[in-house]
Amino acid sequence: MKRGIFLLTSLLIASSLLVSACSNNNSSSNSASNTKSTTVPATTTQETPASTVVGLTEPFTATDLSKLPAVAQKRTDTIIVGLTDPSGAFTPYFQQSGYDGNVSSLLYASLINVDDKGLPVPELAESWDISDDALTYTFHLKSDLKFSDGSPLTADDVAFTWTILHDKAYDGDSQVLTLNVVGGAAYKAGTATTITGIKVTDPKTISVTLEKPNATALVTLGSNVLSKAYYGKDYKFGQLDYIKKLHEKPVGNGPYTLEKFIPGQEVRFVANEYYYKGKPATEHFIYKTTEGDVWQFVETGEVDYASFSATQENIDKLKGLGYLNVIPYTPSSYGYLQANLEHEQLKDKAVRQAITYGLDRKSIYVDASQGAGSVANIPASPISWSYTEEGINPYNYDPEKAKELLDGAGWTVGAGGIREKDGKPLSIHFLGSKSKNTDIFIAVAKENFEALGIKFEPEVFADFNSLVSKVEGGDYDLVSFSTPMLTDPSDGLLQFLNGEIKGYDNPKFKELYDKGLATTDIEERKKIYTELYQLLNDELPVIFTSYKKTVYAYNGRIENVTVSPFIGLAGSLPNWSLK
Amino acid sequence: MSTYLSKRLIYMFVILFAASLLIFCLYALTPGDFISGNIKLSPERKAELRDIYGLNKPLLERYGIWMSNAFRGDFGFSLAQQKPVLQLFNEYIWNSFLLAVVSTFLTWVIAVIVGVISAYKQYSWFDTLVMVAIFAAMSIPSFFIGLFLIKILAVDLKWLPPGGMLTTGSNATGIAYLKEVIHHMTLPVIVMTLLGVGSLTRYFRSNMIDVIKQDYIRTARAKGLTERKVLFTHALRNALLPAITLVGFELPALFGGSLIIEKIFNWPGIGQLYMQSFGLRDYPLLMGFTMFIAILTVLGTLISDILYHVADPRVRLQ
Repeated sequence: MKRGIFLLTSLLIASSLLVSACSNNNSSSNSASNTKSTTVPATTTQETPASTVVGLTEPFTATDLSKLPAVAQKRTDTIIVGLTDPSGAFTPYFQQSGYDGNVSSLLYASLINVDDKGLPVPELAESWDISDDALTYTFHLKSDLKFSDGSPLTADDVAFTWTILHDKAYDGDSQVLTLNVVGGAAYKAGTATTITGIKVTDPKTISVTLEKPNATALVTLGSNVLSKAYYGKDYKFGQLDYIKKLHEKPVGNGPYTLEKFIPGQEVRFVANEYYYKGKPATEHFIYKTTEGDVWQFVETGEVDYASFSATQENIDKLKGLGYLNVIPYTPSSYGYLQANLEHEQLKDKAVRQAITYGLDRKSIYVDASQGAGSVANIPASPISWSYTEEGINPYNYDPEKAKELLDGAGWTVGAGGIREKDGKPLSIHFLGSKSKNTDIFIAVAKENFEALGIKFEPEVFADFNSLVSKVEGGDYDLVSFSTPMLTDPSDGLLQFLNGEIKGYDNPKFKELYDKGLATTDIEERKKIYTELYQLLNDELPVIFTSYKKTVYAYNGRIENVTVSPFIGLAGSLPNWSLK
Repeated sequence: MSTYLSKRLIYMFVILFAASLLIFCLYALTPGDFISGNIKLSPERKAELRDIYGLNKPLLERYGIWMSNAFRGDFGFSLAQQKPVLQLFNEYIWNSFLLAVVSTFLTWVIAVIVGVISAYKQYSWFDTLVMVAIFAAMSIPSFFIGLFLIKILAVDLKWLPPGGMLTTGSNATGIAYLKEVIHHMTLPVIVMTLLGVGSLTRYFRSNMIDVIKQDYIRTARAKGLTERKVLFTHALRNALLPAITLVGFELPALFGGSLIIEKIFNWPGIGQLYMQSFGLRDYPLLMGFTMFIAILTVLGTLISDILYHVADPRVRLQ
């Protein structure tokens, strides 16, 4: 009898897991990113479909600040921003959740930051030199830099930061490891006690030598700096667990310091008097955990700033509240349909092009989402310095052209209106994450594919990990993905190279990719990336789908707000002030 | 009694052991792992990380490692949260417990009172009204009623806060802190009570109806006892007996958290954390929490068996 009861409970537990799988679609994909360059936008984004498409092109200024709820009116030295779910791992490089990245981006400054175009600008480093062979990077630090505990920040701290990332126990996803620093591998293997490629010349100068030129190195290396005195005092090679104990007691060098972390509720910050640019204008800053809907907190004035999907409905509602400034924003990511290039039907470029022509992407990504998106044709966001439309085929919806291409590729209409080649029907097994956008995609794509004579078999996953493992198993034809926030144009191309997209092997692409990283001259890189984008736009190893559009809404009392596509609010936050 | 207890404890041990193996396999065999969700990593780095976390080891070996650590009281670090699993429990479970214990208490009190009265006045207008209200409360989805109440009471009328446990940025301590928490928990407690009270009221009502028809109630009335005394001393006691079994099952529910309520009201509870860690395949946290609930379930049934024996000496424990 008791065994029976227990069996029942374990079944209940098991079934609750299935339920859980259904209710958790966004978090995993969101939290895949971290570090400065990939900070996720604060708060959950709301999505609602309807009809008209106008969008928001100009910033909108609050019309009636007297409507501001009393709670928000009363705050004089505190700004509150919603953030889905920071976990408390506030040490940069050692966090697993992008939300922790949002927190640490306020606690730690970088050597080098990026501007609105993604180009490097000095922060803690005053300047930098790159050797002619593009292998050695020398950083010159500003004078009198200090950590939040008042201790000086020197080149040794920088060297320490780079070194522990090469520890064999390091389990974060820092891209520093992909740069191949000279001597890095030896250190990781435990055969060397220091990394030979890292050289501290004097307390303000440090250089690093790479084995291979890499244009992303400057920004990747020029990230946050950890205090050697604080994070390094217990360090032994191969043993990094002690850092976990320091996660909630960060010693940083950013605009704010951590005052208090209340798990699941808030992260409280107080202005850092040692910040290199001077103490921020607003004394207190709070990230409030908003797991569910953020509207209720915006409407009651409990948060000052939130991001929303740029649907007409959201924009109208935000404008209607009267006390919010609304600014349009395009994230630096792109959406795509990954094609299974190992399957016969999608191996052929013509078929992939036909699908791109035959899919009404404008209806799916622009019209159905009320203008909260635009059609993508290259692997770079419109805000990137490398973005171009020169020589790019827009693949405007053209079912006739699609049919022509399919006919040309040998897929002819057979019995039941389904195309066949060598007796095999043309079918597309599509995988997508459970979301409203996927529902729209499936509805439109089903019709589009039917018109082309392609059998469409959609499968929707509530759980992101299950979807990924199905993709890894190769049991799909098309799968819908979106990249994390991209800083350097090469970030968006890496997946074509590192084996993530199986079956794409084009020497020309590899050559151009390496060429794009071999130089740090922006104009020259622009040319190379234009060529690369033209190549990928023609070859379509993945089918480019869309760019997202969002808006940021914030309390009209806050001044000096700008939001960078690459570093979010962290860049302008020190200047925010309440009027 | 003591032989019974030792026998039960051995059973419990075996059951928990089997459960842990089952649960471990269940989690490990769900497609995808903690690493696969991170789309930023290259395949080589993924393999490296799986090696660091020991995810590439055979299933039984992983289970063995987990089990031997657990025996030493080490439930590991949450992979996503980078904190010891037990510390996370401590940070989140009490918040869930607070909501659960208050709403469970209210649910039981309301259910007993309403159940007794509607049983006593069976088929009266009161009884009918209660039944209609109960079915209505039971059939409204929690997210709907939650959001509806937020809209009315928090956004429009501004009587209650829209969510969270504290006023953002508040430094209240002592009585002020207590007041703030009560203020914030009102809405979620109302919703949880509304959802739970229906089935329990029906349960007490039908138990009570059965008991009232018994001979000893007629005897009590014949003795000239007041109606109140008959109902609440003689009848209710016996009607409550079967409910003792329910007490045992409430135990895991008190600590388990409620995903939907916590999400809607932005409550910092364990339910949310658990669901999130399932999406991420945060194995140590998943394993730790599920085992914790399993232990509570087994303990709960033991407690209810013992309580039953205490309340009703006719029940023999063997």
